[in-house]
Amino acid sequence: MTQPAKKTYLKFEQEKINSEFLRNKLKLKNLETKKSFNEKYPHVEKFFAEKGIDLAKIREHSAKVITTGALTGTLLFNPPLIVDGNSVVKNIVKNVSDLKLGISSIPEQENLLNLINQILPEKIGPLNRSQEKNLEQIFKEILNINTKASLEGEHLNTTYGYIGAEQHLMRYPGDTMATHPKIPEKDEGMAPGRGAWGYFAYSKSQMTESDVDREKWYAVVQTLYLPDWAKRQPYLRDWYKYRKVLVLNTINGNAVVADIADSGPAAWTGKHFGGSPEVMNYLGGSRYKKGPVLLFFVDDPYNQVPLGPVEYNKIEEMGIELKRA
Amino acid sequence: MSKLFFDHLLKLDDVNIFIKKSASSTEEHKELIDLVDNIVTTNVLDKILSKLDKKDHEEFLALFHKCPHDEIQIFAYLNTKTGKDINKVLEQELKDFSKEILSELTK
Repeated sequence: MTQPAKKTYLKFEQEKINSEFLRNKLKLKNLETKKSFNEKYPHVEKFFAEKGIDLAKIREHSAKVITTGALTGTLLFNPPLIVDGNSVVKNIVKNVSDLKLGISSIPEQENLLNLINQILPEKIGPLNRSQEKNLEQIFKEILNINTKASLEGEHLNTTYGYIGAEQHLMRYPGDTMATHPKIPEKDEGMAPGRGAWGYFAYSKSQMTESDVDREKWYAVVQTLYLPDWAKRQPYLRDWYKYRKVLVLNTINGNAVVADIADSGPAAWTGKHFGGSPEVMNYLGGSRYKKGPVLLFFVDDPYNQVPLGPVEYNKIEEMGIELKRA
Repeated sequence: MSKLFFDHLLKLDDVNIFIKKSASSTEEHKELIDLVDNIVTTNVLDKILSKLDKKDHEEFLALFHKCPHDEIQIFAYLNTKTGKDINKVLEQELKDFSKEILSELTK
């Protein structure tokens, strides 16, 4: 039997009030904090006013500084360990040829880790174009996946960052954990709201295998911080919806092809990406809640790359001990 | 990139979950995230400025303006000026920040 209309209406109103209440609380707290700060440090407000920056927009300013640095190749805060990209490329070609000829006994996963460690900076953060190009080549040669840090002119704020565990998403109205697939251990449960792109299907009966996979192997990226996100709607929203990405754990080399199905996480969580319970479980096991990853777009115009694990090597089966993520 | 030099010290996952649960749309979620962001940024800057001599404020602000993301440069500057490991000091001070915000939002 359906719920009486009045009750549904009341429930909806209650949810709206809670949400409004939270927003007002935050607005008030924000105003109080700002007022007290400006009273304590009037010269700070003056400093930013003279620079034409609102402190509330400091992240946008940071984005501009970083983008300018990346374009001019002056990311001094993030120096590549290997400046000569050619030597890395030569190494890739040699190592892959050795593997194909059976000369090298190094497993591909270990080989990949050795190569990316020559490229990645010590500090986790944005990479420069040269580093990204070298990584694209490594992924192509070893994983046989075409990836791009910049695809069709789109680039995430960072391709190297921390991923954090997310919950399952509601696939259709009424979806619950009672029927939702789970990971074998320490499952995160289901998020209370929908993903940024809504339900995967209108109803349970309309769910396709592709919808199931999209939720199962979903990733979260910070579209909310893209400098042009608001200006380029609805194009960007459509472009990012279910966009395939390669997510590679830089500690153990485990890799997954995922699709973007939610926006986040907030910068103040110390994370840059999110992964579904299945993505996180494959990348690092059931206890893996946060760790460094590379995240590149998959260049797959004909939709030929399946979502899910990239099983290019079973390094653990070969008795190779890796650092835990 | 939206990075600020102190982002790695912030562990506000509980606030994030709380907000996600309450937001009724993606747009509202973004608005709430931005509001928390402003509160956090102002608080962290307050904590940093209170540890510096007033005469050094302008120099710090100039560095922050020049490279707001650069934790290496900025923490090196702060450590030199204060004679302390500011990264550690802030880590300690921000430890309960998540709880503080949550308790304010739920009271």
